[in-house]
Amino acid sequence: MSRKILSQWRLLLIPVVITFMALVPFDWFLGQYKYLGTVIGLSTIVTVGLCLFMGYTGQVSLGQAAFYGIGMYFSAVLSSVHGLNPWLAMLIAACVTGLVALLLGIILRLKGNYLAMATLAVGFVVWKIAVIDDMGCTGGPDGIRGIPYLSIGSFEFDSQFKRYYLVWGFCLAILLISQSIVNSRIGRALRAVHGSEEAAESLGINVFRFKLKIFVVSAVYASIAGSLFAHHQLHASPGYFEPIDSVYLVIMAVIGGLASIWGAIFGAGAVEILRNEILIHYDKWNMVILGLILMVILILMPEGLFVALKTGYQQEGVFFIPRRIWRLARSLYSGIKGFHRRKIAGSLQGEPD
Amino acid sequence: MMDIILETKGLTRAFGGLVAVDTVDLQIESNKITAVIGPNGAGKTTLFNLITGVYAPTDGEILFKGEPISKVLSRSGRHNRFRVIADSFINSLRYRSYQVSPVQRTKLGIVRTFQHVHLFGNMNVIENVMTGQHLRSSYGFFEAAFLLPKRHREETRITLNAKKYLNMVGLGQHENADAMSLPLGQQKLLAIARALATEPKLLLLDEPGAGLNRLEKQDLSDLIRRIRDMGITVVLVEHDMPLVMGLAEKVIVLDTGKKIAEGTAAQVQKDKRVIAAYLGEDEDEL
Repeated sequence: MSRKILSQWRLLLIPVVITFMALVPFDWFLGQYKYLGTVIGLSTIVTVGLCLFMGYTGQVSLGQAAFYGIGMYFSAVLSSVHGLNPWLAMLIAACVTGLVALLLGIILRLKGNYLAMATLAVGFVVWKIAVIDDMGCTGGPDGIRGIPYLSIGSFEFDSQFKRYYLVWGFCLAILLISQSIVNSRIGRALRAVHGSEEAAESLGINVFRFKLKIFVVSAVYASIAGSLFAHHQLHASPGYFEPIDSVYLVIMAVIGGLASIWGAIFGAGAVEILRNEILIHYDKWNMVILGLILMVILILMPEGLFVALKTGYQQEGVFFIPRRIWRLARSLYSGIKGFHRRKIAGSLQGEPD
Repeated sequence: MMDIILETKGLTRAFGGLVAVDTVDLQIESNKITAVIGPNGAGKTTLFNLITGVYAPTDGEILFKGEPISKVLSRSGRHNRFRVIADSFINSLRYRSYQVSPVQRTKLGIVRTFQHVHLFGNMNVIENVMTGQHLRSSYGFFEAAFLLPKRHREETRITLNAKKYLNMVGLGQHENADAMSLPLGQQKLLAIARALATEPKLLLLDEPGAGLNRLEKQDLSDLIRRIRDMGITVVLVEHDMPLVMGLAEKVIVLDTGKKIAEGTAAQVQKDKRVIAAYLGEDEDEL
């Protein structure tokens, strides 16, 4: 029954959300936030790739910003220094990033914490290469300027307003593509790798090859976002993909819900709004506040914001948020008694092994 | 003339000094239910892992339908246990072997289930079975991403087949449930349905009856007979003697890595070495 109600609401919800997103850059609506909206779109693209890699395939990447950076720099260098068509530059950047991910794929033989360390190293190395600028092509810490805007024929994406739609167009396409990958044979194989590598192997799924493929796909997503950013900001510099940004990306994926494609928008939105609008006023304390918020989210909704909102709505209807806050307040009020009661309930639920 | 689907010759696997499977010669007949039994640590699960290609043997070979799928090339013929222990380190460095990969074996038609079920908890029941059809469909990332007709065609077939196998094990009405929300008995059935979805010739069941009640075991026996009637050879490792005795047409007994008896259930039950292995009698008393 809940499914039926949801599908009725969904009919209304989807047009409302799309209209809202489409109206954001107009000055009479939320015009001052169109830059933020664009950034959210870019982060969403990277986060979707991360969701595929982490949430669906069960791997870890703490170096996703590196691929963002590679895409950004290849686009920047090819289109500004070598004067290539920006679209071609973007395509080449995506291919190169894919190739880099393919070569780095050897680290996917590692598991868990070791994989996290290795990907973290990738993030640092790529960032450091850009900063040091040994080859004399990345422009060191100052980066590269003089990047052209993307254009179709004579139509140039030269205003914030146009680029908002460009980025969200890409974002929507990538979300739809990822959604259809997840619901296919390929998506099932990826989820099988997450569920149990042994069982996946026994069913004839080549575990390593699928890890590698999805790693490349997620790297290409990040690269596309990086290229779009380069042609959006007209500037590429190491400051845009510092190793800590990879951590932010993971936070986005976690908040949105690791195993949900559309949750990526929520995750990216929540973190970018926090970073750019709220935490900016508490500059020394921003990481502390962000960390606290992340902790609260992980404790209260370990499956992520999007999934929590969805299931909450399915279980308790439209007013589930005030209800849950009321329940939480009540249980906090009853304090130890509530804790004690839950402990008993927990011991009753726990099955003997 | 009996038809041999799987054969092992002098199959050996040593882990350091421990010889888990020791020069085992097996012949598994087509379209029959064969049980491999033995006390704990007899090497039954290692045998399965060797057949499915998780481990490479340290000696001997495995033939599937007469074709070698595992073969150790540098050492041939028989050898004794002490030699294996002494040479195990050197062997691990130098032995060469021919190994068909696990994925390729599944393609050939060897599939197994696990003692600890290993269902995919992040999928629902029918998706678990659909995953089993992975090798029987071929569309890739590109077709999946852009919803091309090939995807649609194959997905339709995959879904139909998955429903067929689910109905066969009797889980048809649970197809949208979470895999892990099922009780253990049904999880085991689901694991069998998932394995069947790979369209195997040889199905290896690792302790299918463990943790089931008597009624569920009865259903399981019926199911295994139906699978045999589909033309699939079934090999099961099982501790539960009544289940094995009622079901298996041939029983192979392993103890400390060696094959100690083989034959029909009745023959095996009378074998003195089997009784000794299970009850732990001294060999002097035999």
